[in-house]
Amino acid sequence: MLRFIIKRLLVTIPTILVVITITWGLIRLAPGNFYSGEKRLPPAIEKNIREKYGLDKPWYQQYGKTMWGIIRHLDFGTSLKYQGKSVNTIIATSLPVSAGVGILAYLLALLVGIPIGSFAALKQNTRWDYSSMALTMLGISLPNFVLGPILVLFFSLTLYWLPPSRWNGFFSLNIILPVLTLSAVYMSYIARLTRAGMLEVLRSDYIRTARAKGLSEKDVVVRHALRGGLMPVISYTGPALAFLLTGTVVVEKIFALPGLGNYFIQASLNRDEPLVIGIVAFIAITLLLANLLVDIAYAFLDPRVRYQ
Amino acid sequence: MSKTTWKRLVALCVLASLLAFSLSCASLSQSGDYFGKNQPPAKNIFRYVTGDEPQSLDPPISLGQPEARIYMALYDGLVEYNPKDLSPMPSLAERWDINNDSSEFTFHLRQNGRFSNGDPIDANDFVYTFRRAVSPELASGNAYLAYYIKYAQQYNEKKVFVRDPATNQFLLAKDFGDDTPEPLSSQPVAETNEYSPTQAEPKPDADSEFHHLMHSPQRLTLPGSEKARNKLLDSNAQLKAAVAGKELVSIKGEDIGIEAVDKYVVRISLAQPGPFFLGLLAHQLFRLVHRKTVETYGEQWTDPKHIVTCGPFKLKTWEPYNKLVVERDPMFWDAATVKLDEIHFYPMADNPSIMNLYKVGDIDAVLNHTVPNAWLDVVRNKKDYMDGKEAGIDYLQINVTQPPMNDVRVRKAFNYAIDKNAWATFKQIVKPLTAFTPEGIFPDYPQPKGDEFNPERARQLLGEAGFPVTKNADGSFSCPKFPVKDLEYIYNTQESNKTMAEWMQAQWKQNLGITIGLRNMESKTFLAVRTKLDYKGFSRGGWSADYMDPFTFLSLFYTGGDSGTGWQDPNYIKMLDVANRTLDQKKRYELLAQAEKYLIDAQPVIPIDTPSVNWVKKPYVKGMYPNPGTLFPWKFVYIERDQAKWDSGTPSLQQQTQVAER
Repeated sequence: MLRFIIKRLLVTIPTILVVITITWGLIRLAPGNFYSGEKRLPPAIEKNIREKYGLDKPWYQQYGKTMWGIIRHLDFGTSLKYQGKSVNTIIATSLPVSAGVGILAYLLALLVGIPIGSFAALKQNTRWDYSSMALTMLGISLPNFVLGPILVLFFSLTLYWLPPSRWNGFFSLNIILPVLTLSAVYMSYIARLTRAGMLEVLRSDYIRTARAKGLSEKDVVVRHALRGGLMPVISYTGPALAFLLTGTVVVEKIFALPGLGNYFIQASLNRDEPLVIGIVAFIAITLLLANLLVDIAYAFLDPRVRYQ
Repeated sequence: MSKTTWKRLVALCVLASLLAFSLSCASLSQSGDYFGKNQPPAKNIFRYVTGDEPQSLDPPISLGQPEARIYMALYDGLVEYNPKDLSPMPSLAERWDINNDSSEFTFHLRQNGRFSNGDPIDANDFVYTFRRAVSPELASGNAYLAYYIKYAQQYNEKKVFVRDPATNQFLLAKDFGDDTPEPLSSQPVAETNEYSPTQAEPKPDADSEFHHLMHSPQRLTLPGSEKARNKLLDSNAQLKAAVAGKELVSIKGEDIGIEAVDKYVVRISLAQPGPFFLGLLAHQLFRLVHRKTVETYGEQWTDPKHIVTCGPFKLKTWEPYNKLVVERDPMFWDAATVKLDEIHFYPMADNPSIMNLYKVGDIDAVLNHTVPNAWLDVVRNKKDYMDGKEAGIDYLQINVTQPPMNDVRVRKAFNYAIDKNAWATFKQIVKPLTAFTPEGIFPDYPQPKGDEFNPERARQLLGEAGFPVTKNADGSFSCPKFPVKDLEYIYNTQESNKTMAEWMQAQWKQNLGITIGLRNMESKTFLAVRTKLDYKGFSRGGWSADYMDPFTFLSLFYTGGDSGTGWQDPNYIKMLDVANRTLDQKKRYELLAQAEKYLIDAQPVIPIDTPSVNWVKKPYVKGMYPNPGTLFPWKFVYIERDQAKWDSGTPSLQQQTQVAER
């Protein structure tokens, strides 16, 4: 097991470096510069800016400098757009917001999705099953840029109950709508995954054995069926959580949250190279680690899975 | 899924969308006089959305307006914008003298100016600020605004003087074919009586060595980089011979035309007459920074831990992408006028989100152009809607370097074929424009008129250019010979740009029978394509004033090429130069207007409209006016708790009402 983990971690490093290199190249291929604006700058001023940020140097020197900073000090440099702000600081301050909202949304999704899914599976082919699955279908198909504004319209602009946007810390009313908007899709997806997993497990031999042993229905479902039925949810959790942790651009934009996703989209629109590279690298690391964690979780939950 | 489930699902969707629709109608068509709640904030705190996250708190660094408004809270300048018309009014400079040809300005500073840390403000702080703003090391994108100051451009461009080591004399520009007449600021001090004496100041002019240095003929300057210099010298044998064996002296910050005459007097010498220069000095580029802080912390000086400011407010907290809080600064020289305790700036860019926040009463005012076009019908009739003239223009740029658009007749035809009045009616809040300066912004400016809508003439011109337009049986037109496949209309992805593109496309199709393809691009890509002239045909253009003078628009085709038409004309540049050297303001305006006429006759652009400001503020917010640049001197803004004194409608911009409202 330990060997497996170490091996996976070692593979991660070259993967990240490749990701960084590709990002570095792509952002250079994109037309425009971080300083280009509506009025063209006089050539002398453009030259001054290029010299200040070392853009007049040959590309391999610039690449070398970027990579060296990253490898040597894990330093992604300073943002070109937000002068004087280091990329590491930006990530460190915006991550808690994204991650916090993401985790809350996912917890809510689990909390609501799993019971609904199990319930639907237990009542398969009844009207409860149909209506809950129809609802989840709606949840999946309704994109969050539609759901968000609808919620705002209802709860903020009509009822004046909740603030329509902005960040005010985790313990404020501001957090309710973003979390709700964000969790809708995941909630629905988890409900459907749970239902599918449960249906498969409920028909398996060991459940029949458990029932034959005379266990109560509650024990059968909670102790035996759920454990196996949740496998699809677990494998979904890895990428979903990585995605949620690193910010969800749309929701952060709608609700004006100071999260990583907001920075990411702005950084690429601004051609803010160090910031883009930093955030991409961070997302890549998170994604790889989350997948690793999922693989480990498998081993604990499913006795059939063993890593050599 | 079974059939009934599908039915239910469909029913559910229909229900949901109906609900959403009725809700949106209900919330928009509210019958109130104002848009949303009108509850003043409990504390004396003003909450405002100024646009996207500020790029930096270092005034010369950010080019944008969102930052300009934040800088107006944090930093003061020699002059400040008048809240109603943005004309310069005294701030850290109590008064000033301008010489007879507006080439030299002497500012008398108030003696009670202080930074937020208590340090007194004197003339040397301004000298430092100006030198820093144009230094090539700082590399400010706005530095070109200071190019009017003597040797500032050459310093920013890293040029060198040429000195003869034998005589220690510098080579002069006039000896090498530069025949620009020297302004008074370059003529020897003794020979001219350049200031009109005032009662207060019979002789405003304290003399100094530097002053005499400034008042000597313009020196010759050469490019600082060896490559560029050799190229220039190789093309000019006389120059090469003269420079041979001479010493090259880099131009330093100390060489530019700003001087601390004494502790509270700053003198600025320009390289040319600059009647508009005073209006420029309230710009963010010229706002005062604290030398010691900048030199100690470098780029980190704007960090909330270190920052020292000099405006009516000082920085309290800064949470990026969330809020920037400034609080009243007791050190500010005019702190008695400041009425707000704090201003909270919320960085936001999504217009509907901003309007929602405004509606529920979480913010007190919003930035310009925040009211989405689709909401105008409702919001425009509310009493908190701010309507006013805007110092900006919308236009189309034409790539004039490629056929068939290199033919002025073709360009004119496309201009004639657009019904701008109909466009203005459709857009509701813009005015049709035929020239290249906004209408009604510069009071005495005799703005020229361009060509009006005339589809007949358009078709005739196209015919003359070799692309005859024929009328079809059904009344439509076609122009089979026109190489329409070669042309396109490019714009950066944005709803309003798309609307405009489609409208123009329809006009040309209807009146000329030509359908130009549209192509939208991501913003930075668009700018790159337009700058490099990587397009054929038309591109969206727009500009808003840097300062309140027509030259801010006309100069788009002046320095270093324009933003993307390929049109450059030495005659035009000469006309502007002559105009700017003209002392009589009325005459100067006439000459500028002639140059503008020349520009629109050449038609590298198709003027479309003058936009209006459109934003909202709560009625209890006072001292904030819909001025042409949407810039607010915050010290005048306050929250009125007496409901009887609230605004009901756009506050008047007439100067008769007291400006300061003290």
